[in-house]
Amino acid sequence: MLFNSHEFIFAFLPLTLLGFYLLGARSRGLALFWLVAASLFFYGWWRPINVLIIAPSIAVNYILARILRRLAAAGDSRQVAARVVLTIGIVFNVCFLGYFKYVNFLGTIAHDLTGVDFALREVVLPLGISFITFQKIAFLIDVYGRRVQSFTLGNYALFVLFFPQLIAGPIVHYREIMPQFEKASCRFEAESFASGITLFVFGLFKKVVLADGIALYVTPLYDAAAHGSMLSFTGGWIAALGFTLLIYFDFSGYTDMALGLARLVGVRLPPNFDSPLKAASIIDFWLRWHMTLTRFLTAYLYNPLVLWLTRRRVAQRKGVLSGRRTTVGAFLSLLVGPTLLTMFVSGIWHGAGYLFVLWGLLHGVYLSINHAWRIFGSRPADSQTQRAERWFPGFLLTFLSVVVAMVLFRSATPAAAKSILQGMFGLHGIGLPQAFFGPVASLAAHSGGLLHVSDEISASDLVAAAGWIVALLGATLALPNTLQILERYSPALSAPRPVAGIGWLSRALVWTPSLIWVAGLSVLAAIAVFQLGGQSEFLYWQF
Amino acid sequence: MNEPDLLAICTRILRDLLMDDRIVLTMNTRRPDVPNWDSFAYINFIVALENELGIKFNVAEVESFETVGDIVTGAMARLR
Repeated sequence: MLFNSHEFIFAFLPLTLLGFYLLGARSRGLALFWLVAASLFFYGWWRPINVLIIAPSIAVNYILARILRRLAAAGDSRQVAARVVLTIGIVFNVCFLGYFKYVNFLGTIAHDLTGVDFALREVVLPLGISFITFQKIAFLIDVYGRRVQSFTLGNYALFVLFFPQLIAGPIVHYREIMPQFEKASCRFEAESFASGITLFVFGLFKKVVLADGIALYVTPLYDAAAHGSMLSFTGGWIAALGFTLLIYFDFSGYTDMALGLARLVGVRLPPNFDSPLKAASIIDFWLRWHMTLTRFLTAYLYNPLVLWLTRRRVAQRKGVLSGRRTTVGAFLSLLVGPTLLTMFVSGIWHGAGYLFVLWGLLHGVYLSINHAWRIFGSRPADSQTQRAERWFPGFLLTFLSVVVAMVLFRSATPAAAKSILQGMFGLHGIGLPQAFFGPVASLAAHSGGLLHVSDEISASDLVAAAGWIVALLGATLALPNTLQILERYSPALSAPRPVAGIGWLSRALVWTPSLIWVAGLSVLAAIAVFQLGGQSEFLYWQF
Repeated sequence: MNEPDLLAICTRILRDLLMDDRIVLTMNTRRPDVPNWDSFAYINFIVALENELGIKFNVAEVESFETVGDIVTGAMARLR
């Protein structure tokens, strides 16, 4: 069930909340059981078979976690056994994900390498399996590391299935969610309800009005490229910039809705976005974009790998990363290697395809360059003014790097990505719709074909798309983000960074339970609800 | 080895690592409190401490240490 559908907003959500509050008045256990049942219903809505696929995997994980907890509690004497069980658990989950997500891709690779067509059944991807799998792996590691001491089947099921974060995150830890449920009143609370609804409306508006609005102009360009059209500079940049804004408003809109929904039942989820498009370096970007994924990959893949490699290098008496004294060997093996591997995993986690792998590796290269600059090149900014001066070039370089990489993320085929990227770098000239061509026709005659008439985008669409890009980018850069607007009511697990920049605007945009905000949000909600109806999935629901 | 001894060892290792003799660690010090103690320097610090004491933390512990006090307590548990 989509968050942005009539059945969710007008049937599932009111009934779920009503049941939760009514049962919560009698017992917390009943209310939480109700949430698990509602979440299963939510998950099974499209394809009930999804429930049959996910349930056994929950059961296996639960049993492994029980064994692991007993072994971990026994201390160092059972360390080896605990490690074996943990390994079995991780392998099970990765294979589970692998079967559904990667069997077809492996078939494609084998076909490309050998030319033989392997008859594979099309495996349908159960919703949210990538997110659910990561969350289950994190749980096993936390039990192994004794960071989770006690849990019941009911609690575990609620942790995995809790519908606000079930399908596209945020990826949460057991220890940050369950203590909240154990303390939650499970009743209607005006303050958390009001901030939750506010966040939900912001998210709904971002998704169905803004993201779906700009999608009308972006999607046809990618479709044209996928069908073999060569996009020019104009079409290429609209496709790339437009999609970057589209995915930001889509995914951060989804996340706002998830955090808002959790607030309705009295729970806070971790933030996933912290105005990432304002980032002034690519390292900063990844600390602000899809934060819970970065946190997962850093804690469970990157850091363990770097720790292991550092121990090895120290044992071999080789150098480690040590500021400007860092050797090239240490930099390559302790930083570039683990970074590329982590971003490769991030890429293939997003989707089973060459372009996702390339997207991940490209970001790995970006990050390595950024780290090299930090270690060998830049001098730390001494003053506030110096930092402010450095913001713009840093921002511009980061933003453009992200935009270029997004073409790989969105394009249907490598050929389409190539066409768009070539267009962006000017290899297919600058195309203009016939209507705009008149005034520049004489210039075009001398441009040797660089400036030419193109039907890749109509005149009215070009104006509309440019308007959307300017408006959305302007809003992204100038306005505080939703968590900053709601900061007084802390709707997320950690506080957003203080608002920087335009003072009066961010001071005016501070949410309070007042009539003016009610009026404003009602307008946003009404506009959004009137736009509902089309089946517009969240981009991240496919992962 | 007791708490003050371990704290002194931690301080010496970190001073060497970051080449900064002004560093003073307490049980409540957090990583952001010390200039330049970034995630790389943190891993180097942990490995240097492991070698000095002849112990080995597990990955989950290294992830969960929030204060210098957590590290000292973790090391004392390993030394026992």
